[in-house]
Amino acid sequence: MTTIGASGLSVATPRVVVLPAVRVSAPVRLNYPWKLGSMNRMVVVKATSEGGISDKVEKSIQEAKETCADDPVSGECVAAWDEVEELSAAASHARDKKKAGGSDPLEEYCNDNPETDECRTYDN
Amino acid sequence: MAVSTIYSTQALNSTHFLTSSSSSKQVFLYRRQPQTNRRFNTLITCSQETIVIGLAADSGCGKSTFMRRLTSVFGGAAKPPKGGNPDSNTLISDTTTVICLDDYHSLDRYGRKEQKVTALDPRANDFDLMYEQVKALKSGVAVEKPIYNHVTGLLDAPELIQPPKILVIEGLHPMFDERVRDLLDFSIYLDISNEVKFAWKIQRDMAERGHSLESIKASIEARKPDFDAFIDPQKQYADAVIEVLPTQLIPDDNEGKVLRVRLIMKEGVKYFSPVYLFDEGSTISWIPCGRKLTCSYPGIKFNYEPDSYFDHEVSVLEMDGQFDRLDELIYVESHLSNLSTKFYGEVTQQMLKHADFPGSNNGTGLFQTIVGLKIRDLYEQLIANKATARAEAAKA
Repeated sequence: MTTIGASGLSVATPRVVVLPAVRVSAPVRLNYPWKLGSMNRMVVVKATSEGGISDKVEKSIQEAKETCADDPVSGECVAAWDEVEELSAAASHARDKKKAGGSDPLEEYCNDNPETDECRTYDN
Repeated sequence: MAVSTIYSTQALNSTHFLTSSSSSKQVFLYRRQPQTNRRFNTLITCSQETIVIGLAADSGCGKSTFMRRLTSVFGGAAKPPKGGNPDSNTLISDTTTVICLDDYHSLDRYGRKEQKVTALDPRANDFDLMYEQVKALKSGVAVEKPIYNHVTGLLDAPELIQPPKILVIEGLHPMFDERVRDLLDFSIYLDISNEVKFAWKIQRDMAERGHSLESIKASIEARKPDFDAFIDPQKQYADAVIEVLPTQLIPDDNEGKVLRVRLIMKEGVKYFSPVYLFDEGSTISWIPCGRKLTCSYPGIKFNYEPDSYFDHEVSVLEMDGQFDRLDELIYVESHLSNLSTKFYGEVTQQMLKHADFPGSNNGTGLFQTIVGLKIRDLYEQLIANKATARAEAAKA
C-alpha cells in the first residue's frame, strides 16, 4: 500500500450525502460508483500479524523519544506519543484476540457455520 | 411522520397487489373485488425504530469490555462483520451494531503526523460525515461507512452498515458535535482518573517490548492537554457518567486493583430512572459485610446520595471494594432498587456470564451491567411509546 494510495484515500474519502428530496431505502452510494471498484483494487486488505505490530510499537516509541528530545511540547512530540498510544492499544487488542480465538480452529469454524455436518449438536 | 396517499388504479387485472411507499416504509395491501367494487385496505407498518447510544471512552473501539457487556445484555454475542475487512472496528449482533468513531477520522496516521495533531483533536475528525451517517442510520437508511485501520493507520475502503435496532457509537467524540449529540437517545461517559489510567496502562503495556515506565508516563502526559481540552468537557452532556477512582479502603494503595467506582446518573432524563439504594433522593452509606455476609479484606462499601454535577441534578451510586463470592453479589443486588431487571438475579447472572472480563469483581463490571439493563429498558419504553403513538395516529 503506497503512500500515493494512502493520500488518495485520505483526501478522497467517500462522502455519503443523503439528499432530502430522494428517499431511498437502498444503501447510499458514492457519486462515482466505478471508483469504489478501483479503491478496492488499490487497497490490499489483510490482517497484519502480531509480530508486525510489536515491531511497530517499538519503532514508534523510538521515534517519539527522538522527536521529543528536541522540543517536549511541540505538536510533533504530542502527535508522536499519540501514535505510540494508538499502536499500543492495537497491539494489546491483537494479543487479546490471539489469546481468545486461536485455541480451537474447529470451534471457530462451528461458531460461524453451525449447520454443517461437523458442527451439528443434538440436544434431545 | 410522512403520510402516503392511497391511489386507486382501475386498469389492473389482478385482485391483489402491493404498493410500497419508501418514504414511510409502510406497505399498503390492496385487494380489489371486481364484483362489488369495495376496496379493503390493510395497513402493515414495518418501520424499525433505531435508538442511538453514545459512549465516550478513551480505551479504543468496539472490543472494549463495556461494549461486550452491553451487547450481551441485549442478547447475542457481537462479532465483526463476516467476510469483510478483518481489521474492521464494527461489531454486529442480532439487535445491536457498534460503530467505532475512529472510522470518521479525516486524517489518517500519516496525515496527523504531518499536521502535528493527535487523534483527540477535532481537526482530525469529520463531524459532518459522522452526523450525516448517524442520522441516516437512525432513520433506517443503510450507509457505506469508512474504515480506519488501526494496524496500518490508513483509511480503508468503506463497508456497508445496515440500520440496526440499537446503534452504539463508541469513541472519543460522540458528544462533541452538537448535531450528533441531539441524535443520541442516551449517552455515557467513562471517566477514568489519572492514577487508575496510569495503573491500567502499565498493566497493558509492560508486556510490550519497547515500553518502559517512562515511555508510558510520557505518552499519557503528552496526550493530556488535548484530552482535557476536547474529550473531558463531554462529561457535562452525558446522561450517565461512570467514574473510576482509586480505592479509599486501602490507605496509600497504588496498585489500582481495588477500585472505587461512582455511577453518576442525571435526573430528569426521559425513560431513564436512576438506580437507588434504600430510598430515592436520600443519602445513605452502607457496608453489606457483617453478620449475614462475611467478606475478605478490604470488603465492600456502598454510598448513595443526590448531588449536583455541572449544574445538573444527579444521583450518585458509589461502590468501593471487590466482590469475592457469588452470594455477595446477589445480596447486594437484592438491596438495590430500580435496576430494570426482568427477573431476580439478572445482574448477578450477567456478571457471572462474563466472569473472565476485567472488572467482573468490582464496581466497573457491576455498573456497566446496570447501565446495559437501563438502556434495554429505555429501548423497550421508546418502542412501546412509538407504537401507541402510531396506533393513536392511525385511529385519528
